[in-house]
Amino acid sequence: MKDTLNVLHKFNAHPDSRCWYVAWNPTGTLLASCGGDRTIRIWAREGDSWECRFLLPEGHQRTVRKVAWSPCGRYLASASFDATTCIWGKKGDDFECLTVLEGHENEVKCVAWAPSGSLLATCSRDKSVWVWEVDEEDEYECVSVVNAHTQDVKHVIWHPTQELLASASYDNTVRLYREEDDDWVCKATLEGHAATVWSLAFDPSGQRLASCSDDRTVKIWKESHSASEEDGAGTSSDLHWKCICTLSGFHSRAIYDVSWCQQTGALATACGDDGVRVFKEDTNSGPHQTIFSLSVHMPKAHSQDVNCVAWNPKEAGVLASCSDDGTIVIWRYQSDT
Amino acid sequence: MSGGTHLDNANPVIYQRSGERVLTVEEEDEDIVDPIDDREIFVTLEDLNVVEQMRVNVDDQGSTVSVEFTPTIPHCSMATLIGLSIKVKLLRSLPNRFKIDVHITPGTHASEDAVNKQLADKERVAAALENSQLLEVVNQCLAAKI
Amino acid sequence: MAANRDVLLGLVEEFVSGQQDSKAAETATGVKTGQFTVLELVEALGLSLTSPEPQTRGRGVQLLSLVLQECYANLSESEVEVLIAFYENRLKDHYAITPHVLQGINALTKCTLPSGLSISILRSLFQDVHVQSLMLKERSCVYNILINLMASQEEELKGLGADFVFGFVQAMDGERDPRNLLLAFQIAHSIIYRGYELGKFTEELFEVTSCYFPIDFTPPPNDPHGITQEDLIMSLRAVLTGTPRFAEYLLPLIIEKIDSDVQSAKLDSLQTLTACTAVYTHKDLAEFLSGLWTSLRREVFQTASEKVETASLSSLKALAACLSRSVQKSDSDDALQSFLDLVLTDCKHHLCEPDLKLVWPSAKILQAVASASYRASHKITGAVVPVLLEQYKNSTQCAQRRTLLEVVQGFVQPVQSSLPGEGDESVLSGFQEPLCSLVFSALCESSTGLQVTATRVLTALGQQPGLLSVPDVELAADHLTRLVLEEEESEVCSAVLECSGSLARLFPTAFVSKMIPKLKEEIFSEPMEQGESNAPKQAHSQQAVRQRCLKTLAAVSSKASVAQESAPILLEVLSSAHSGSCSFSLEEVVSACHSLQRIAAQAQDTEDVGRFFHDIIIPRLLGLAVQAALHGEGEGARNSPLTEESVLFSLVLVMSTACGRLQSQLAILTASRAVSLFLDGDVSFLPENDLPSPLQLLKKQSEAWRQSQLVCLLMACVCSMPRSVEIPQIDRLFCELEELSCTCTHPFAYTSAAKCFAGLVNKRPGGEELDSMLERTMKRISSELDCASSSFRVQAFTLLLWVTKALLIRYHPLSTVLTDKLFSLLKDSELSGAAANGFSLIMSDTEDVLNRACHADLRIMYRQRFFTENSAKLFQGFNSAEKDRKSGYLKALSHIVNHLPRQVQITELPALLPLLLEALSCTEQGVQLSTLSCLHPILTDPPPALTPHLDSLVSHLLALTTSTVMNVRIASLRCLHALSRLPEHMLLPFRARVIRALAVPLDDKKRLVRKEAVLARAEWFLLGSPGR
Repeated sequence: MKDTLNVLHKFNAHPDSRCWYVAWNPTGTLLASCGGDRTIRIWAREGDSWECRFLLPEGHQRTVRKVAWSPCGRYLASASFDATTCIWGKKGDDFECLTVLEGHENEVKCVAWAPSGSLLATCSRDKSVWVWEVDEEDEYECVSVVNAHTQDVKHVIWHPTQELLASASYDNTVRLYREEDDDWVCKATLEGHAATVWSLAFDPSGQRLASCSDDRTVKIWKESHSASEEDGAGTSSDLHWKCICTLSGFHSRAIYDVSWCQQTGALATACGDDGVRVFKEDTNSGPHQTIFSLSVHMPKAHSQDVNCVAWNPKEAGVLASCSDDGTIVIWRYQSDT
Repeated sequence: MSGGTHLDNANPVIYQRSGERVLTVEEEDEDIVDPIDDREIFVTLEDLNVVEQMRVNVDDQGSTVSVEFTPTIPHCSMATLIGLSIKVKLLRSLPNRFKIDVHITPGTHASEDAVNKQLADKERVAAALENSQLLEVVNQCLAAKI
Repeated sequence: MAANRDVLLGLVEEFVSGQQDSKAAETATGVKTGQFTVLELVEALGLSLTSPEPQTRGRGVQLLSLVLQECYANLSESEVEVLIAFYENRLKDHYAITPHVLQGINALTKCTLPSGLSISILRSLFQDVHVQSLMLKERSCVYNILINLMASQEEELKGLGADFVFGFVQAMDGERDPRNLLLAFQIAHSIIYRGYELGKFTEELFEVTSCYFPIDFTPPPNDPHGITQEDLIMSLRAVLTGTPRFAEYLLPLIIEKIDSDVQSAKLDSLQTLTACTAVYTHKDLAEFLSGLWTSLRREVFQTASEKVETASLSSLKALAACLSRSVQKSDSDDALQSFLDLVLTDCKHHLCEPDLKLVWPSAKILQAVASASYRASHKITGAVVPVLLEQYKNSTQCAQRRTLLEVVQGFVQPVQSSLPGEGDESVLSGFQEPLCSLVFSALCESSTGLQVTATRVLTALGQQPGLLSVPDVELAADHLTRLVLEEEESEVCSAVLECSGSLARLFPTAFVSKMIPKLKEEIFSEPMEQGESNAPKQAHSQQAVRQRCLKTLAAVSSKASVAQESAPILLEVLSSAHSGSCSFSLEEVVSACHSLQRIAAQAQDTEDVGRFFHDIIIPRLLGLAVQAALHGEGEGARNSPLTEESVLFSLVLVMSTACGRLQSQLAILTASRAVSLFLDGDVSFLPENDLPSPLQLLKKQSEAWRQSQLVCLLMACVCSMPRSVEIPQIDRLFCELEELSCTCTHPFAYTSAAKCFAGLVNKRPGGEELDSMLERTMKRISSELDCASSSFRVQAFTLLLWVTKALLIRYHPLSTVLTDKLFSLLKDSELSGAAANGFSLIMSDTEDVLNRACHADLRIMYRQRFFTENSAKLFQGFNSAEKDRKSGYLKALSHIVNHLPRQVQITELPALLPLLLEALSCTEQGVQLSTLSCLHPILTDPPPALTPHLDSLVSHLLALTTSTVMNVRIASLRCLHALSRLPEHMLLPFRARVIRALAVPLDDKKRLVRKEAVLARAEWFLLGSPGR
């Protein structure tokens, strides 16, 4: 068995600054990046190199922490430390800021589109998660503010098929939310990490959720349908997810991001020890036993902390990563099995 | 003494600089590699405008630096700010390859864990440094002594 | 006359009704030329002055006043009288007219006033004008009227009694304008200093001025009047501190304001207090002493500011000085005694507390007070020193003993203002014995700090008569000798050296008998046998001891009686090194020379030491050197260290230092001996003269370079003499030196010959003789240089370089030709590098010749002048040079600019910058370094000319931060650091780039480079960032 991770391209995306996050558009042809230099850039492959196709006009006053493409691929949302979220859309040959979503008290840490494209979630250091509804006229309305976490909320993510929202926080927990009586409510609290949970990823089917943390572990969580009968306590609508696997001992510093490949099922991590790692599920892993093993480890993937990893949604095995060193690297992952 | 109210620091203990003689430029051998060591980092931090006790641990090969500082008062609300200043000073003074950890000396501050967690969170540190009021205070701590 | 009258009426009409302001000047001219009189003008104004319209009346008065401003000097007494009566009357008129009336009065008060008038003016003024409702300019007019009257009519004004003061107080009450305040303070100051009667208005005068205290004034940006806060502070302070009659009001005010939170207010209060003690007596202070003491003590004990502390201590000293001055008799009611008691009660016990927490502030207070007068010092020292001695004895910790000893030092250090008067004995004389034993015990401690402080106390004791007895001094010499022999710590070594030097100056005998023999013994003790495992280390420390002994010999030899003992030891070092009877390393031989040079340089009684050098040292040195040179010629002979260049170079410094200080008789003798030795082989004056003859030291002998290089000693003798000393056989000397310098193949020898030639040329009187000699030499140099195949081109170039320098620094007209020749060599394929470096030699000071100590004809401004005359040639040469020859020009430029005074560098920068930037990109590291070092001082205060080049400068500097040469990396980082002080808006565009680029040197392999990178990067981070 000889799995490999090779550099396809490396480019200095945010010189003089750090690159916080990258996001592929749904067709996997464009890569959006954001960073400490307050800019958002959109990259595309041109022949043998990657070129900056768009440099979005100045929309944010501070660091842009994360970006997310709408499922239709026409809009890009950006979350910034300036407490706003911007929705960008293409007008003619350029991107323009269409709407600014205000309301959070301080830094917005993450933004995510629901698969339907009609819902948007944001989270912030103000401990809240906001759910926004998008109508036909592209007007955004906040439909719910959930204050379930007790600390800074670091990440939000939608279930790939259902209207289920997950969030990760500085309070060491992951929480899941559903809509109930026109309001979004916390339906589950996943406890187990010993430090800040930095990021989350659902597997292609949505049955399992991966979380990564400052405690240097990745945990895989799975919905347990029998749980409600077992403890008998919660109401019928409560969700029950439990940790079925913990990847510990692989990372030497905080893990900032995790990404689950929709085609291959491989799990990639971005780590504060400058490394990128890919894990794959063992073949003898079954419904009762989940086993992931380290497939490839690139120790000096970047010269500083790796902040984000993102699998290309269409091209199997293509992975993008970005770092405090300001660069983006495009990798090709190949596995023998 | 009748007139005094704040005499905490009227006659501070002066730590003598180590007797190690500093080589002048002329005496240096250009080809010898000087590894980055504890003392070098300590001297860098000594210039901070916050007088704190510190312990420094540097691993040049492994590219890690860890600093433990002891706030003068166990409840001092300035602890986070002092820690932040130390961290920023190190970020600005050390090569990018270094991983920097700043902690409170165990058992010396009431909310040790909370402060340590904040200092370790690079996202919050980054946000703090974009807050101009906070940055102003940190910069004042960092500004070279006249 | 009628015509004139019509003209006048016309002018008046045009000014008053026609509103033509220019007519005033015409009218004034008319009055000045006598075309019409002032009274005629008044007459002509008649109608306007009686007009019912206030505006017309105002215009009329204005014309009159404007004319008077020009013509007041020509008025007769009666005219003045009439005019003043008129103006006084007008003061009661409409308010719109008042400004013009005041202008007129102001003009008139500059005249000599008939008696009684000034009083009358003042009464009207004080009665009819409410000053503070006037405009700024008119108020200023009133103050000027008062100033004029006070200057000329002091007696009359004083006749008004306190009414004058009252009137003034009312006039200035509420003044807000800084310009007017300066005038008002000036008036108040004169009132006080000229002794006007204050009467019952003392407090009023104080109130009306002190309400501005402490001054808080920030001049507006671009203030055209240029009044500073400091101006106002000083002029108000002069008023407030002018009289003891203000004491009862001022002192409580000061006590209150010292409390202020504003530092400038604190400082102003403290300085004002210090100032007023100069005119106060103890009676004025008595009531407030305890209040003042409480405030001042608090400031010293608690302040965080050094400025406040210093100001408080000065105030305490001033208070004690005032009390000492005004209390002559020491009776029971002695204010000085009670004040000192107050201070002692509050401070003394801090000296005894075991944690020593407030020792320093207390000690500073006590020392400040003690320094006020002999009496104060007597009382304080008497009370404090026993306590300190006791504390010292009882303290177990070394750090505490050190602190206490440092405090003791403060009390022992003599202070001019508290020295004993004639007939008084030192305040310390009672403590002589315990102090000495304290010092000696501290000298035996192992702590560096204690030892260093002890040497300082010892020095201080020595400086005061009667505090060190002869046995004490001898003991001290023993201790110091021990430390020289045993102590390795460099801080202690230099303290011991300093202390030995200053005590030996006062007590030479003790050092001759106690220290010098032991040093000699140590110097000549043979190194231990090698072979043991720790041998290298031991050898190393033994060398260090020898070095210290050699240095100490020089340090203690400022008196002739010591020098006569120590210099022969140093000579003996040289002769044993030469004979090999005792092994000395080259460094030790050089050190011995340095010590001899120091003795020659610091000699206090120059005449005795000079004669000693003339009679003994110089002949011995020359003899040794000649012997060494001859000795070395033999086959397989041992190489004497005295033939080494480094030793010869230091011998040159000894001899030129000594010769430069010789009395003229001895100088003439030395010069002629040296010349006849070198020209004629006359060795009769050398101590050991059994030398082979004939000696021909200046003749070119290809094998005998050891003899040829002795020409440097000839230079040391003949080039260091005062210009008045005639050098015998000068023409022959020139010929021989020229020949040697142009034909010798040994570099040290031909360079020394060239330097000797240049040194003599520099002092030669100008004139045809010199010119023709130089012409001959130039011809020879040129022909040598022009012959590409010549093997003596370097020699010719060397001679050219030194002669150029010799002429340039004395502004000799021929220097231009020579300089041009040097410039042309920048294009020379063989010599261009040497020529470029030659400019560094020309612009810098040389240690052994052509400097001030050698009495060279050296103009201070020669560098600027050289630059001004030649920069254009240099630029031109650079522009026209072939590509691969350009670097020579850049190098030359960088050397020249590097040695220019900073002011010149800045003025020339606009023209120089493009070239300097090119020089930075020159691959030669020497050029880079030299250019960086000329840029650095400019960057710390950069001129506007830099702006357009900033981008290129930053790029070049950043590139050099990764140079392979450490010094270049350091220098470029320092420049980048300096650059960060430029205005922010200029730098912000580069901030991100610089910060990123500076991350690289943060990981440099050399710590010194990293340190600079950290400093520079920190500053660039702060740019444009809050809290900078």
